[in-house]
Amino acid sequence: MMRNTLLTLATVGLAILGLYLLTQAEGSSGLLSALTLIFIWGIAAVSLNLINGQLGILSLGHHGFMLIGGYVTALLMLPEKERAPFRTRLLSDWARNHLDLDKWLRGAGLDFIANSIDLKFVVALFLAGLAAAVVGVIVGAPSLRLKGDYLAIVTFGFGEIIRLLPNAPEVAALTNGPLGIKGIPGDAGTVWWTFFAFLFVLWFLTRLKFSSYGRAFEGIREDEIAAEAMGVNLAYHKVLAFTISAFFAGVAGGLYASYLQSVDTQTFNFFVTFFLLVAISLGGLGSITGAVLGTAIVVLVRIYGGFLEKPYPAYVGYLGGAVVMLSAFAFSAYIRKARRLRPVVETKHLIFGALGVALLLVTVLFRNEPWMTQTVQFFGLRKILLAVILILIMIYRREGIMGRAEFSWKLIFGPREDIPTEEQRKQDAWLSNPDLNPDAAKKEDDDASA
Amino acid sequence: MTASKLASRSTLFTLLAGLLLVVLIGWRIAMLGDYTFARIVQDFLNALTLGSLYALIALGYTMVYGIIRLINFAHGEIFMLGSYFAFYAMTLTPMHWGLALLITVLLGGTVLLVLRSLFNLEEPKRTAALALLIFAGTFFLLAFRNMGWIEALLLSMLATGVAGVLLEAVAYRPLRGAPRESMLITAIAASFFLQNMGQLLFGPRVQGFNAETILNRPLNFTIGEETVYYTGILIVVPTVTAVLLFVLNLFVSRTKLGKAMRATAQDAEVAQMMGVNVNQVIALTFFIGSILAAAAGVMYAIRFGQIHPLMGLIPGIKAFTAAVIGGIGSLPGAVLGGLLLGFIEIYVVSLFPTLSAYKDVFAFVLLILILLFRPSGLVGEDLTEKV
Repeated sequence: MMRNTLLTLATVGLAILGLYLLTQAEGSSGLLSALTLIFIWGIAAVSLNLINGQLGILSLGHHGFMLIGGYVTALLMLPEKERAPFRTRLLSDWARNHLDLDKWLRGAGLDFIANSIDLKFVVALFLAGLAAAVVGVIVGAPSLRLKGDYLAIVTFGFGEIIRLLPNAPEVAALTNGPLGIKGIPGDAGTVWWTFFAFLFVLWFLTRLKFSSYGRAFEGIREDEIAAEAMGVNLAYHKVLAFTISAFFAGVAGGLYASYLQSVDTQTFNFFVTFFLLVAISLGGLGSITGAVLGTAIVVLVRIYGGFLEKPYPAYVGYLGGAVVMLSAFAFSAYIRKARRLRPVVETKHLIFGALGVALLLVTVLFRNEPWMTQTVQFFGLRKILLAVILILIMIYRREGIMGRAEFSWKLIFGPREDIPTEEQRKQDAWLSNPDLNPDAAKKEDDDASA
Repeated sequence: MTASKLASRSTLFTLLAGLLLVVLIGWRIAMLGDYTFARIVQDFLNALTLGSLYALIALGYTMVYGIIRLINFAHGEIFMLGSYFAFYAMTLTPMHWGLALLITVLLGGTVLLVLRSLFNLEEPKRTAALALLIFAGTFFLLAFRNMGWIEALLLSMLATGVAGVLLEAVAYRPLRGAPRESMLITAIAASFFLQNMGQLLFGPRVQGFNAETILNRPLNFTIGEETVYYTGILIVVPTVTAVLLFVLNLFVSRTKLGKAMRATAQDAEVAQMMGVNVNQVIALTFFIGSILAAAAGVMYAIRFGQIHPLMGLIPGIKAFTAAVIGGIGSLPGAVLGGLLLGFIEIYVVSLFPTLSAYKDVFAFVLLILILLFRPSGLVGEDLTEKV
């Protein structure tokens, strides 16, 4: 226990040192913003994982909670000069003058908080999370009676309603309508801020997972009826998980608003939830480690996959298509081979191969035609890639990278549980003794011949 | 639930909805006095058209849900594909014969393969005749005709139906027997895939869809002092919808494959034991659903005059709402729900113009309310989950 705590602290220390060195290094701004995004999306993904993975309920309304967090943070933190009527045209005077954390704090005599932008952000993000959590209760309490895909659709509907509402004229007095709010201070969107927020959320949710609440959540995931029979209050635990998840989604939304320094309804569309869904499915539904890993991969694809959408001559596209088709062909053959299915290549898989070869031929034959050398740009290729990744995960590896396992120091330094100890070996000695166990003798023969 | 009970229930709800409508219109006339007869007629025509379109799309949702309990998120994108196929059929023809030949071979071949597997075409003579018809017809249309909307509609329905079958085969079939959440996630991914693929292949811009036919020629007439804006499409959409519904009804109730479909919807496992090829039935369901969506897509494009790769989103979610209103899994329910939603949308906006900003929110609110308080819909059966 002592050792593990020390190791964890050492790792955090190393991470802080690494981050410090990185911020001092030159030309690292790209990497830093990538890390910032990983931390922000990581908070959102881990919170979505609490419902979708640990509680086993498919919720598709996460973008709505993030949007609420973003707007609340934006309104509370908007500096005085950005509140001028011509900048926030649609905002009502009341919202402009009174929804101001600075005034609230000074009014309450808490000037020491109001003087520090970081402390103010702590309060604002907490309030943002609280607002999202309140909406989470309102959304969750009625809809969590439903199950499965109906529940998914209801949460999707709520998320979309939340996203559409800020644009409506009556609500624009509070949200500035489709113009969105610009000029939010970016102080909480830095790498340090998001790093510590991320650490806190990780710590909190890991503690939660291994508490009695976490076990109750997993009990509900495995079998609702059995969990209820064991005394788990279904409604309470479901709404609790939903609320906690909404709270951290709101915090992530606030951080993202601060990172972008602006917020509007397009920032938090359904793609946000889809993106998070890819991340947690890739990492493994139910695993916090997996959610973090998945987020890192997905964010890196999104940031460093930019080269995919640069302008290229058309033949690059044809060649790419050929490569994709041929690798799909090889992949399907490999899967069938690994599963020992005969025939290894089916007719329908030949279609991929044939298309690939056809594309290759077309590229080679028409390489000098004008339509082959003109410049084209493949917009949206990263989103297509993400969608394909998600479909492939769902078909071939539903447990993702980590399954439901978590990272632990024991995994690395502890005794391996899959290898028997000396004592177990002794106890099981007769199993491996050919004189006593005829099966063992046979197995050794098999091994020798193999 | 027996057919007569179902019929009486849907009649009841239609009557109730009609009554509500009359009350609302009456209230509006009494309160403000600016709601004339011409506007009633105009709104009725618009609502009937929109409702028919929703009904056509909703049928695809409801059939797929009835058979494999999957909310096919990508159905809106199938609808989008349908309108784009028709768009290219109408703008790119007549094309160079070489290109036409290539497309004919690719498209015709796929269509033939799919049709063969869907409809058990074993007799060689008939299959050959069908092959000849498809190949010659497609080539003729592509190479020599400047396609009008009817030919484009038919071709697009065929191509989109095949696209739906391919979608099912590639994305959903490997997940047979998987948890329903996984299937839903796959459907969402497929929807995103098709949206972005559409933006990549068709371009992200809004394209004008000019069906230069009698459909868009104004046939306005006047009632009293006011003009009712009327074009051919307002009568074509309900008519085509009615014809398609009639054919679908005949197919489902009278043919052997329709019987197999009904059996699979009731209990897939037992149907399989009775010798129904469940995979074939599921593919067939996707085929029919996509055909109807394509018809809706083409007519939607003619009605509203423009198409873009994300056009399937809102009609898709509204049609899904319609399917849920009617009771998901029930065919008459989907039609009823579609019409109801069309009428609600048009009349709410017309009677309360201030609410028009909430038009899209409204569909979601309705969806949530129905799912929360009456998940089985208006005419659907109760689907309580057993232990």
